Amino acid sequence: MLGTAVKIRVERRLELPRRTSAAISGLLILLSFVVASAVFELLGVNSVRTLSTIVSVFLSPTSLLQAVIRGMPIGLAALGLSLAFRMNFWNIGAEGQLYMGMFAATGVVLLHAYYGAIPEQLLFTTMILASFVSGGLYCTLPGYLKAKLGVNEILPTLMLNYVAILFVDFLVYGPWRDPKGFSFPLSITFPDYARMDGFLGNASYLGLTMALVVAAIVYVLMNWTTIGFEMRVVGQNVDAAKYGGINLLRTTLIGSFLAGGLAGVGGLIIVSGLIGRLRPRASPGYGYTAIIVAFLAGLNPWLIVPASIFFGGLLVAGEAIQAALNLPVAAVQVFQAIIFIMIIVAEFFKRYRVTIRR
Amino acid sequence: MAAVGWLESILAGAVQAGTVFLIASLGEIYAERSGVLNLGMEGMMIVGAAVSFIVTNALGHGYAILAVLLMGLALGLGHAFLTVTLKLNQIVVGLALTILGLGLGGLLGNAEIRRRLILALNPAVEERNLIVQEAAKLPDIPIPVLKDIPVLGGMFFQQNALIYLSLVLTFVMWFILFRTRFGLALRSVGENPAMADAMGINVFITRYIAMAICGMLGALAGSYLFIGYQPFWVEGMTNGRGFIALALVILATWNPLRAVLAAYLFGGVETLQFRLQLLGVAAQIPQFLLMLPYIVTIVTLTLLSLESVRKRIGVPAALGIPYSRE
Amino acid sequence: MWVESPQTLVEMRGIVKRFPGVLANDSASFTLLRGEVHALLGENGAGKTTLMNILYGLYRPDAGQIYVKGRLVQIRSPRDAISLGIGMVHQQFRLIPTHTVAENIIVGSREIGFTLRYDAINEELSKLIKFYGWSIRPDSRVWQLSAGEKQQVELLKALYRKADILILDEPTSVLTPQETTVLFQTLRRMASQGLGVVLISHKLDEVMGVSDRVTVMRRGRTVATKPTKETNPEELAYLMIGRQIGVVEPRKTTLSPHPILETHGLKVLDDKGLLAVKGLSIKLHGGEILGVAGVSGNGQQELMEALVGLRRVEEGKILIGGIDVTNKPPSAFIDAGVAYIPPETLKYTASGMTVAENLILKSYRRSKFSHRFLINWRNVYEEAERLVKTFNIVAPSLKTRAGNLSGGNIQRLVLARELALQDDIKIVIAAYPTKGLDVASTEFIQRKLAETRDRGAGVLLVSEDLEELAMLSDRLIVMYKGGIVGELSRAEFDLETVGLMMTGVKRAEATA
Repeated sequence: MLGTAVKIRVERRLELPRRTSAAISGLLILLSFVVASAVFELLGVNSVRTLSTIVSVFLSPTSLLQAVIRGMPIGLAALGLSLAFRMNFWNIGAEGQLYMGMFAATGVVLLHAYYGAIPEQLLFTTMILASFVSGGLYCTLPGYLKAKLGVNEILPTLMLNYVAILFVDFLVYGPWRDPKGFSFPLSITFPDYARMDGFLGNASYLGLTMALVVAAIVYVLMNWTTIGFEMRVVGQNVDAAKYGGINLLRTTLIGSFLAGGLAGVGGLIIVSGLIGRLRPRASPGYGYTAIIVAFLAGLNPWLIVPASIFFGGLLVAGEAIQAALNLPVAAVQVFQAIIFIMIIVAEFFKRYRVTIRR
Repeated sequence: MAAVGWLESILAGAVQAGTVFLIASLGEIYAERSGVLNLGMEGMMIVGAAVSFIVTNALGHGYAILAVLLMGLALGLGHAFLTVTLKLNQIVVGLALTILGLGLGGLLGNAEIRRRLILALNPAVEERNLIVQEAAKLPDIPIPVLKDIPVLGGMFFQQNALIYLSLVLTFVMWFILFRTRFGLALRSVGENPAMADAMGINVFITRYIAMAICGMLGALAGSYLFIGYQPFWVEGMTNGRGFIALALVILATWNPLRAVLAAYLFGGVETLQFRLQLLGVAAQIPQFLLMLPYIVTIVTLTLLSLESVRKRIGVPAALGIPYSRE
Repeated sequence: MWVESPQTLVEMRGIVKRFPGVLANDSASFTLLRGEVHALLGENGAGKTTLMNILYGLYRPDAGQIYVKGRLVQIRSPRDAISLGIGMVHQQFRLIPTHTVAENIIVGSREIGFTLRYDAINEELSKLIKFYGWSIRPDSRVWQLSAGEKQQVELLKALYRKADILILDEPTSVLTPQETTVLFQTLRRMASQGLGVVLISHKLDEVMGVSDRVTVMRRGRTVATKPTKETNPEELAYLMIGRQIGVVEPRKTTLSPHPILETHGLKVLDDKGLLAVKGLSIKLHGGEILGVAGVSGNGQQELMEALVGLRRVEEGKILIGGIDVTNKPPSAFIDAGVAYIPPETLKYTASGMTVAENLILKSYRRSKFSHRFLINWRNVYEEAERLVKTFNIVAPSLKTRAGNLSGGNIQRLVLARELALQDDIKIVIAAYPTKGLDVASTEFIQRKLAETRDRGAGVLLVSEDLEELAMLSDRLIVMYKGGIVGELSRAEFDLETVGLMMTGVKRAEATA
């Protein structure tokens, strides 16, 4: 046995049946649980209790609702990302676009509160529109740079995240600070009709509805419309797109606008559904989590909604773990990262078949 | 006179604040010059900071640096395995590593876990070290005679060991990159791996080495951030510096010597912002100042895309593209 | 094995190389002696580049032996070739533009020591440069150099590594006449030093001018090897092309009264910024097939891309149906009724999308397939079914990934997309449409083109297959170095004449 060499052969797969693909993904997600447990144990964390806490989050209705609303900003941003990634537009800037959405939504509230500019009934709708446009425009800048000048969009979108976060910092520490807020960097609280729990009782219901509607729109857009077709061709092969008469600039701008806009609406959910006002660092990296969710769901809008609920649940679990086991929320982040890495590794196994022979 | 003193202290502060950027970008330069984009720098940094925190309190600075280098090596090699051998998408792998690193950093920084780990490393450690949220800072080592030079003395000759190391490292890494066979091979791999392969260079090993260096320096940068600059643990203390290092590399056009200037520039902005806040200047201005590095990066990237510029100061042509010998 | 003679540097025997659907080398053989410049002549697709790529280790032969300096060798990669003293200069340079000349040359060399001492290196390189009478400087950056100078750097790469066998693949295609003269001086210099030089070329005048011996290849076989002094251009052209007469298919329609496609003085740049199409004027009428002969790389690609809106026109005009469409976007050309069958089908195929989606790549905007913004998939699938049957596209289903189809089927898909989905096709630009395809697919495509012509469209057929051109064209023009060497009507068609014209000999002289 010792003398014989083990030969590992790696060859590209010619076809990938659905069952094999699902099996690979499933196996690796299971593996992520194993790896996560190992890491936890190594650090002296009780993995069984940790993982059972996470699972229990999804079993209780109250925490499940919490999971839903926590997951919705992630979900909306991820839906936008599913568009962008299919167009080969690497939008790492979802985080910043979330913040720009928060900015716009809060701005609308302030316009209403201080200047009476918009009537109550139209307020929430205006907030949705404003956050959509704000996030959308913010994303078209890197989109334009890519389409017109060939600037790779990864770093510009990433850099703009920090700019947006600092911008919101500026607003909340400065001109938008609640004068009655005891000098804390917080905006005024939103009135009831500007808050998501004003509708349908629980913010989660509204949030979930919004997400499902958006998922449907994204699905129809990508698969049934000409613009979706154009975006997919651009994502596949830019030469083929040009050859087919597709206008690259127009398509890229539209795609980036939509992606950023959806993230912007995610931002609206944060200030209107989760917090009820604007504060600095309101998003603990939802825009980045959205990237993981988009990949986990294979860019499929229908899978993004449950995946984002799952990740929302992880966040809720994180806080439960913190309370019960005195563990940092970071434990959940490690778990997320491990899942992410496993999904990526799954990609390798989906692309290549590995055989081990003696 | 007071103005000069103030200027001197800002410049010295620029060096202290900038060194974290310098060390990180030196590593990233090697990675990117070999064609591998490492988006996981932020994660490597915070892991380095956390590990240096724990091991310093357990065993002191020397062992801390060793531990940090090992940790960085592991992360760098992990990245290389996923991107060079498995040829997975470098952007996605980098992001995953960042998130993993941030999570690990948070975990390691947690009081309970920290306590257990420190005890495991050194059962005889002082009780105090198990609890405190900080660690001993690296001592300043003033160099006699040179330290008294006006302005430059404060900047370069009254600093701690890691800062001196970073300056030596800059020169050494520049030399290796541009004046040695290995450096030429590395640069060629990043520009045209097919050509390098045909000329007899092992593209895969070269990229592994580059990522190993990048991982070690990334973690080292994080450890500097803690024991060399701000030795009190705050969650997420890297604050995006890892990503700024990426921008810095571009600003420095992948050249270690220019990286020094860029790093100290960013460090200067950071120091200035602190001082202004202390002086009670309106809190708004520092925020716009802080935006500067990010905006400058975008502008630089745009300029670099213009044909005329691209020819001379190129992005390494094969950056981000996995190499297969098909 | 045994030393044949100390003079023989390379001997290749019975080399066979197959690619999917194509026998590139059919028991080819080749010898190279010390001190000679040996030209390897043949049309594109004759197998000469493949044969040399095998010698350089880029491909492995399916059968045959290679002897280098008397020893039987296995060349598995360019590294092996380099260590055997073989160097190759390709048509597309493998240089790093941002690096210096010296850096490009010494990379990977074991001789230079860990620290690079540029003064010593530069001196050594300068000596070599002076010896060959060149004027490049080791410390210049490669992007600053002209094409001829870049070629010198490529040569230096081999010379620095003490290569004594040099292969140059169509080196003059990127050079000015002056640079060509310098190159030939260099080659003779090298030969006088005892090196063996292989010159792959299709240009008869150059072959006659600089080589000592000539080997002609045709359809993968070595047809003849002769000392240059003992042959002449006519004999070589005959050997290159062979004597085959195609079946004549008479034109069934009448020409349109006015040309549907015209160009006036068209000037188009290639990717390197050099002029590829140099003031070309042609007229294409509806109801005819205008064949364009010529070795690829003489501007045909750039011309075609300009004619469909995928490449900028620097000077001159393109008129479709009398309307100026110069430099309009591709969609304008599509709307004007231009169909394009591109040379590299995969380049314009979205391989990750389905067969059906690829079929409507250009026509998805038409009212049959989309209304306002919504795509009518039912109509799309109906039409796609029909096309798959008519064009015989073999695919498991309409939803199969296009990238999974075989080459021939992708070509049929492209054909279907171009010819059948646009109602009012007025012009078809076809680039090497049957290259690399099996007999059945080839016949099918040729028939379809003729049909399209019969329906009144004008077809511009660019091909390297002279038989095909002979069979299909109503008129034939020959392109050489971005211009038209001459035009022949069907009656005047003669393979030898065309062959000569393809190498630049003007019409009058060729028929003399």
